[in-house]
Amino acid sequence: MPRLSGTVLLVALCGASVAQGGAREIEAGVEDFWYRTAETALNRDNFLGLDQNENLLRGALSWKETRGAAKFVFKGFVERSSGADAKTTWTARQAYAQYGWGPGVQVRVGRQRLGWGSGFAWNPTNRLEPPKNPANTALEQEGSLAARLDIVPANWAGVILVAARGETGLGNLPFSGSASERNTGALRVRFLVKNTDLAFVVSGGERQPTLLGLDLGRDLGGVSIHAEAATYQGSEIAPPRPEQRFFRLATGLLWSRDTTSVTAEYFFNGEGYSDGATKTYLRSLDATYAAATNPVLPRAAQQAALARYGALAALPFSGGLGLRRHYLQASWTRSEIRGQWTTALRSVVGLSDGGVALTPGVVYAPRGDFTISLDGVILLGPGDSEYRLAPLRGALQARVKALF
Amino acid sequence: MPSLLLVLLLAGTMPTADTIVRRADKAVLGDSATYRLRMSVLRPGRSDRVVEMNGWKKGDALGLVRYTAPPKERNTAYLRSGENTWLFLPSAEKVVRVGAKQNFGGGDFSNGDIFRLSLIQDYDPTLAGAETLDGIDCYKLELKAKNRSVAYDRVLYWVRSDGSFYPLRADYHTLSGKKLKWLSVSKLRHLGGRERPTLLTMENAIEAGAKTLLEFLEIRDDAKLDDRIFTPSALEKGE
Repeated sequence: MPRLSGTVLLVALCGASVAQGGAREIEAGVEDFWYRTAETALNRDNFLGLDQNENLLRGALSWKETRGAAKFVFKGFVERSSGADAKTTWTARQAYAQYGWGPGVQVRVGRQRLGWGSGFAWNPTNRLEPPKNPANTALEQEGSLAARLDIVPANWAGVILVAARGETGLGNLPFSGSASERNTGALRVRFLVKNTDLAFVVSGGERQPTLLGLDLGRDLGGVSIHAEAATYQGSEIAPPRPEQRFFRLATGLLWSRDTTSVTAEYFFNGEGYSDGATKTYLRSLDATYAAATNPVLPRAAQQAALARYGALAALPFSGGLGLRRHYLQASWTRSEIRGQWTTALRSVVGLSDGGVALTPGVVYAPRGDFTISLDGVILLGPGDSEYRLAPLRGALQARVKALF
Repeated sequence: MPSLLLVLLLAGTMPTADTIVRRADKAVLGDSATYRLRMSVLRPGRSDRVVEMNGWKKGDALGLVRYTAPPKERNTAYLRSGENTWLFLPSAEKVVRVGAKQNFGGGDFSNGDIFRLSLIQDYDPTLAGAETLDGIDCYKLELKAKNRSVAYDRVLYWVRSDGSFYPLRADYHTLSGKKLKWLSVSKLRHLGGRERPTLLTMENAIEAGAKTLLEFLEIRDDAKLDDRIFTPSALEKGE
């Protein structure tokens, strides 16, 4: 419910101001995300209170109106979760108004996706919106409450200025982790130099170190390559390391031919845990949970230990980009010629720990205005790998959309 | 037809290869144009894929197309600026770079074919003679790529010699001489205030019977277009 704050009024204003003629796109859909849960080091004795099977059933609506230089967008859903903590909530993924003064200046205000950075699965320069889930980047992302100004002085240069309030945790999961909101301001200056996209990024705000970023993209022998890098002083993942400078880099390629496309992306998370740090982290989890369940300790101490355990267990989901240092994401997508059937296989490999997230998927579009998508997520690897520590064993994510 | 070539050459009225290609480059679209286009991808034994799009072109370097149908692909957009091509995927709300040699929209045209209807910038032309194709007198030209970044190394090009300079056919070859694809230009129609060819058909050597049709439904030449609509950030804005 809090995600709707500030957006309901905006949508009402949009509806009032589009009484005249213009373009309209309406999309309605149903989403059903089923998860098989597990007790792991991050969910001792089912600390999260999950049922063995958790389900998120959603009715989704998307509404876009274009009136001359103005555009209004609403995308949201009503969700009924099943399981131990069954409840109904509604969420605005996006609800914004946009206005352009010619091709040179544009303002967009409201909850919105910012598409910040060239990375496919990871965006090290993006502190403005919730991170993507690298296991399934095809899922619709939630936006941030933001004001965005685009200035394009020439077709080889552009400036984007954003003030945003965004979440730090992953979405579309049956548990909330300890995601928190933070205010961030960011500037992105883009140039096209010698057939290379070159962008400089500066961002900062509350509860985060100032970040400097560089984003590159170009074609190389029929392959499109990109590199998105960031550096900042002071860690974002616990424990605090205020004196240390960290680097993150996502670099990858896209190759496509006919209706087949292949992507690959490597992600280096400079502040990610080494093997030793991971062992220390897992020992901390065990120790805090042991304290939380130690009958000898006073109740207040148990409660404090349990809160500490909850915060530690949420680290992999609230850090944003991952707990370890090295990751590789690859995808293969093929459509049959009419586009009725599209099959995809995505995978993320934690190179530091051998964890694997496999996401096969299929999209069926019998008509141009109707699509059915089904993705499976399978988490594999050693027991102490990041993807096996997650309190999930697998998921099925089904989406049906109709356009009007 | 060599005699016609000889007569024209002797008479000093024979246009140069450069002039022929420059004139042919402007036969379908003017220097700066907006247009509406239908692309049909035909594969033997399978249903056709039909996509409609709006397009904007400025000079030889800047081009933009945005899908208008089918609904599930609406607002998918391609941008060309110089040697660079970007694709906007509305479902992911993301702009990604794609190569000029990659196929456009799953058809037989490459991204370079769609946005670089002008050949003079990428190729050095020489006049190879005169021929009659389908009963139409043509100049035959041989075009060699100026650099390896273009989609094809060598193009054989036939342009009408009746004064219209309408292109009729192009065969696209690799450096080794292998024919990859061939383009037929047809369907003369009065569109946007003048007569012009409006149907481009690309066939490939890999799959017999497979072809992609690009049919211009509307054209407006001499459109006043701001360079800044041809930017990646403009792709995201939608129409």
